[in-house]
This record gives sequence, structure tokens and C-alpha cells, in this order.
Amino acid sequence: MDSGYYAACTALISRTQALDTIANNLANASTVGYRAQHNVFSAVLAAANSTSDSPVNQAINNFGVLSGTDMDTSQGALQKTGNPLDVAIQGSGYFVVQTPNGEMYTRDGSFQVSSKGQLITGAGDPVIGSKGTITVPPGTVTISNDGTISSKGAVAGKLKLVDFPPGTQLTSAGETYYSAPPKTATDATNSSVRQGMLESSNVNPVTSMVELITAQRSTEMMQRALSMYNSEIDKTAVQDLPKV
Amino acid sequence: MFHALYTAASGMTAQQINLDNIANNLANASTSGFQSRRVQFSDLLYQSEVMPGSAATQQTTVAAGLQVGLGTRPGNTEIIQTQGDLSSTGNPLDFAIEGTGFFQVLMPNNQIGYTRSGSFQPNAQGALVTANGNALQPAITIPANATNITVGSDGTVSVTLPGQTNAAQVGVLQLATFANPGGLNSIGNNIYLPTTASGDAVVGTPGGADGLGTIQQGMLEQANVNIVDEFVNMILAQRSYESNSRVVKAADEMLQGLNQIAQ
Repeated sequence: MDSGYYAACTALISRTQALDTIANNLANASTVGYRAQHNVFSAVLAAANSTSDSPVNQAINNFGVLSGTDMDTSQGALQKTGNPLDVAIQGSGYFVVQTPNGEMYTRDGSFQVSSKGQLITGAGDPVIGSKGTITVPPGTVTISNDGTISSKGAVAGKLKLVDFPPGTQLTSAGETYYSAPPKTATDATNSSVRQGMLESSNVNPVTSMVELITAQRSTEMMQRALSMYNSEIDKTAVQDLPKV
Repeated sequence: MFHALYTAASGMTAQQINLDNIANNLANASTSGFQSRRVQFSDLLYQSEVMPGSAATQQTTVAAGLQVGLGTRPGNTEIIQTQGDLSSTGNPLDFAIEGTGFFQVLMPNNQIGYTRSGSFQPNAQGALVTANGNALQPAITIPANATNITVGSDGTVSVTLPGQTNAAQVGVLQLATFANPGGLNSIGNNIYLPTTASGDAVVGTPGGADGLGTIQQGMLEQANVNIVDEFVNMILAQRSYESNSRVVKAADEMLQGLNQIAQ
């Protein structure tokens, strides 16, 4: 059958996948520390090995697929909460969290204290400091810009902030946690923390709405192309040609 | 079918719960001793169609994985522990806690409840009780003929009796604190109960070495609800709900278009 039929079909599938990513960004617009995912489309040259690689052949067999999602690492807006255990990161670093599945990284600094006095995330996993888990004594807690946690003048620990070399693949693990390939985390040098603040999700509603409309309209175009093949060309080939 | 429909629905459900919480905070803006709660969201699982860092060829790895998230969920509603404003009432049996800590009250089922609402009254026997009749613990009895009641910042309650020049001490207020007060269980009537998340109550003297707050007599602590913040959050919740419903509409129209192809 006509290869354009499959090109339109492939594009239709990739646009519906794109819609899923946009929906996830908008659903997480209120998730503290969430980082938006952007769709990356790429061209796939189908069956390019056997036939000659002429421009016409390329134009016919070049299919658009959704090849990946790219994490937006721009800084989210810092929102003042006044809660002493809320910490936002200014810069590109991440907090380190000890989970049952190993070390994870997060930008969500809405910490709490467990009944044993440990500093934990909202999901209940202990936050890692420069010397292991952090025990917070009762009373007013002060967190300085370099992450040092002190209570009544005594230092209780220091939040560990890590950074990754450019191009490191972070995998989203849910709970606003990210996992990274082993031995890629290095101590963050250009990040500082702000007490009493939280980093809002960096989802840009304007971009998301534009992406939504683009996905919707290009889906309509592919649908139109598909129905063109279905109703016009194939119908002509099957019904009209034999009558000639 | 598209995940987008369910993903957007998860966003709408989350914003509904967010709005419910904001409504409760605003409704209690005049409740003395009320502590507002805040909904925390987290993202759900991801479908990894291409794992980030997987091999593209023998020499290279893919530039970015293909991970599609499946929406959001409300993670927890944490009790915000900021200090509410203290307002002067002039009533000698109104106590406010400046700092951390909770008053202990004995509930009808003999359980101890914890509250920051410090508006007490003497009952028929002279014991201090809350508006619901729950007795303050440890019990403090005010003699019926007392002319003057004084409560020190460390919780010492003393009264002056007719014909006497020196004040007599009738009891000492004690406060309780928790390792994680954000994990307490609200049961209404301004009363919290301890949970495994909050830890057991640690009882101590106000202003003592345990880091407990001090008692301010003749004052009441107002709710720590910040009306401006709540209104901003309400607008954000409403707009976020709208954008999620826009995704549902887009997904619906795309499906409708698909169904029309084969006509």
C-alpha cells in the first residue's frame, strides 16, 4: 500500500503520545519540584537500505516518530511558605534521598521530621546529609544557604546537594524522585538553598497550551490525510478503476 | 485509549482535593488555635518506552529516553506549624502558646487530646475545661472566691483569695510536644491525637529546656491561615483544573476525529 498511509499513521500515533506528555505536565502543574518533560520528535527513514536513497524516496519514506522526552531543567519559581522545614534549591542541584530502591534525587524540599526525629520527604524517605541521615532536634530549626541545619546554635547536619555532568540521563521515578546512572552525582558547586520556600513546578502553562493545540491540530491534519487515502485514493483504486 | 484522558482526570481530582483543603482553611480562618493544612502533590509512575541512557548502537546511547508520566496524586496534607497571631482578649482564662506545644485535655473516652486553642472556663467544681467541657490536664482548680488569677509565662497559675495579700499557687500548666507535629491526626473541635507518624507526646514545662513555647495570659492564638495565600492557591487550583479539563476536551476531540476516519 501507499507508504504515505503509514507515514500519516505513524505521525498520528506519535501525536497521541505527545498529548500524554502534555497532559502529565499540566496535571503536575501544582507538584512542588516537578520538572516538565518536553517531546522530541525525530524522523525515521523506513526501508532505506534496499532502495536508492533519492530525495523522492526520502520524502516518501521519512516517518515522524516521538523518539524521546527531554527534561526541562530550568529553575521553577520560588514560592514563600514560611514553613521552617521547606527548602528550595536555587541552582541546578538536587537533594539526595535514601529510598528502598537506592539513592534517588529530588528538587522537592517540603521536608518533615519523622517520629524518630529524622528529616524525611513527604513520601517518608530519609534525606541524606553530608554525613548520612539527618536527625533534627526539637525546637526552631534554622537552615543556612549552604544547607547547614542548626537548632539552638548547635549544628545538626548539612543537606547534601549533588549535581550531574551535562548530558546525564535522569530517569523519573515518580514521587518527584529521579534516579541517575551510578557514580554520576558530584557535589553541587553552584547551588544554594533557601529556607521557608518551595520551588514550584517549572511547567509553563502557556507553552503547554500551545503544545496542546499543536498536537491537536496536527492530529487533525494526519486524520485528514488518512481519510484522504481511505476515501479518495483507495476508493478510486478499488471501485472506480475496474469500471474503466 | 489515550493515557491523556486518565492523566488529566488525575490532575482534576488532585485540584478538587486541593480546593476542598483551601475551603476548610478559609472556613476556619476565625477558629482560634486552628492550624492550616497544605496539600502536597507528587507525580505518578512513568511508562518508560525508551529508558534514558539505553544503548542506541554499540557505541552510542540515546540522547533522551521516552518516558511518559501517568499524572499526579495528592501525597499528603501536612499541618502547617507557623505561629498564629496573638490577639488580646483581656479574659484571664484565655491562654495562648507562643512557640511550639499543645495543651492537654481529657476527653470523655479518657483519652488525652492535644489542642492549641487556649480558651478555658471553670466548670461547676472550679476545674478549668475547654468550651466542649474537656478538662485541662494536669487538672487546675480555681477556688470560687478567687479575686485575681495570674498565669506566668512558665505556666504557674496563682490566685489571690479575699483577705489575703499573698497569691497562692493552685497549679502549673504543662505543654506537650511531638517529634513531628505535622503528622498529628485532626479529629475536629481543635483537637489532635498522636499517631505513629507524629510520635509520642513529650510533656514539659512551658519555656523550659525542651524548647516548648511560653504561655501568654489574656491572649488567644488566631488561626495561622494566610487569607492572601489561600486566595492565590484557590485561583491556581481553579486555573489548573481548567487546563486539565482542556486536555480532556482535546483528547476527546482527537478520538472523535479518529472515529470519523473510517466513514
